[in-house]
Amino acid sequence: MTTMMLTALIAKDFKGYFANRFFALVTVLSLVAFTGLYFLLPKTVDETLALGLVLAEAPPALEAELSSADEVRIARFATSEELQAAILAGDLPVGFVFPDDLAAQLQAGTQPQVTLFLAPDVPPEFVSIYQVALQEFVFLILGQELPIEVTETVLGPDMAGAQIAPRQRMLPLLVVFILMVECLGLASLIASEVEGGTIRALLVTPLTMRGLFLAKGIFGSLFAFAQAALLLLVTGGLTAQPLLNLLALLAGAAMVTGVAFLIASVGRDLMSVMGWGILAMLLLALPTLSLLIPGLTSNWMRLIPSYYLVDTLFRTLNFAAGWREVGANLLVLLAYAAVLMTIGTLTLQRRFR
Amino acid sequence: MPIPSIIAEQLVYRYGSLLAVDQISFQVASGEIFGFLGPNGAGKSTTVKMLTGQLRPQAGQIKILGIDVARHPKQVQARIGVCFELTNLYETMSGVENLHLFARLFGVRGFDADALLRRVGLDGRGKDKVEGYSKGMKQRLMVARALVNQPDVLFLDEPTEGLDPTSAQAIRHVIREEQARGATIFLTTHDMHEADLLCDRVAFLDRGTIVALDTPHTLKQQYGERMVYVEVLAPDGTLQRREVMLDRADTPAEVAALLQGEQVVTLHSAEATLEDIFIRITGRGLAS
Repeated sequence: MTTMMLTALIAKDFKGYFANRFFALVTVLSLVAFTGLYFLLPKTVDETLALGLVLAEAPPALEAELSSADEVRIARFATSEELQAAILAGDLPVGFVFPDDLAAQLQAGTQPQVTLFLAPDVPPEFVSIYQVALQEFVFLILGQELPIEVTETVLGPDMAGAQIAPRQRMLPLLVVFILMVECLGLASLIASEVEGGTIRALLVTPLTMRGLFLAKGIFGSLFAFAQAALLLLVTGGLTAQPLLNLLALLAGAAMVTGVAFLIASVGRDLMSVMGWGILAMLLLALPTLSLLIPGLTSNWMRLIPSYYLVDTLFRTLNFAAGWREVGANLLVLLAYAAVLMTIGTLTLQRRFR
Repeated sequence: MPIPSIIAEQLVYRYGSLLAVDQISFQVASGEIFGFLGPNGAGKSTTVKMLTGQLRPQAGQIKILGIDVARHPKQVQARIGVCFELTNLYETMSGVENLHLFARLFGVRGFDADALLRRVGLDGRGKDKVEGYSKGMKQRLMVARALVNQPDVLFLDEPTEGLDPTSAQAIRHVIREEQARGATIFLTTHDMHEADLLCDRVAFLDRGTIVALDTPHTLKQQYGERMVYVEVLAPDGTLQRREVMLDRADTPAEVAALLQGEQVVTLHSAEATLEDIFIRITGRGLAS
């Protein structure tokens, strides 16, 4: 395999990729759209706890507590109906309604009824938290402090006031999507070459099968890498740990190139390539859901190769993780890339014969 | 006989239980145009794939230019040119780009694509995308692509099938030019007329075996029957055709009787075609 052969094949693939107007358009559009989406997403997180309150007369201790709590935003309402309307309008997730004669009922020794209104999308675990908050309110109303002392200890970096913004959470997902778009394009390109018989023509020249796969692997990996790196560059993802992130992207690009080989080995035309490709895309996107919804993370997700790319990027971009923290991730990602490339090459070779 | 460019010995290839090629052997001399003839499914394409290193024979040995193809396929492929039966060009690239790509794969320096395109009659169309070419133009480009490395052995699979007469003639002209340059040409076809026009020797392949191998002239002499076709004017004014076999003892008398007794309008002799001979040897036509 000479340099002349290698550059000829890479140049041919580059032209071939952009000769397909669909993939040329999708490539440019996805790069623009994903970058735009990143900047449209909020760059900060609202950390205040909002709740509504219907309470005719609050004791001084409660008023003092309410006015001093920065992290709690309390909206007062005159009536239960006004509070419910605000919750239904999506202004608040929750509200407490105390009876107008609360003080009198407490003095009389009767048990006042307090109503907790919740928006439909409040998760169950938050309902429990609001119930606890309500009990604290009652203690304050009664003029009593809770008979406990609470000590807060943050394990790991204290993210109070600096929660991970939605755009930062989404960035690894956008990277995976960019890589997968290129993966589909490469798979389609290879499938069309196999179906069109041009691969046969290439292989009755001095070009070896190994050389052909090397050229495809280099083209696919570098092309995917360049797009993902551009996305990170524009979104500021290369300001911290640039070398580490670029290496992770390169390994990720090699991984999706292996996936493209696999897809091309089973796909015969654009439609079947798209079908298999979307299946692969959904699978590889699964680990990114665990970033958006942390409770989803489970051990089986670690079997998905993209987990190690997503986790590496998430930690370097948001927690300033370094080589020591994500080195093992990178090794696993590189191993996955090598395995997928090997399996993809072997399965694709069968179609060339 | 000069040193053979192609030596095939006892080649065997099976697809599962189907025996596609059954112990065939032949040699092709340097500079020879060798026709490999047979109907679809006879084993032609499988044999060509083995000769060009695309398939490894399950038994037997092939030497091209003295090199064992199974052991050193890339050494062989560097010195051969292959023109496939089905068009397999990069359609979104231009003719020139297609040729340059393969020239670079063969390591050809100073490659002149325009000159090659002129040889196949595609001058002026080199910068057009191949997807806009006619079938004949694509086939001519396929032949040109097979020539980028000035091959010592040229494999052509049905190079003129389905082409207009002009394109077919252009390709035949290039084949003769290549022979004149010294290249050996292995022509696979089921067009017997084409083989008759071009080939020094032909092999008939049927059901995976070679059933005859010789020059077209010898085959015709050995298996064919020369005929005289005579058109006579009948008393009712219609034209009627008479056939007289040549090379028989009573042929002169039969011809003389026709000339004396009938009103002869036309008279011409004809020899058997390769297709006639193929049918006579195998008992079936090329379309079967």
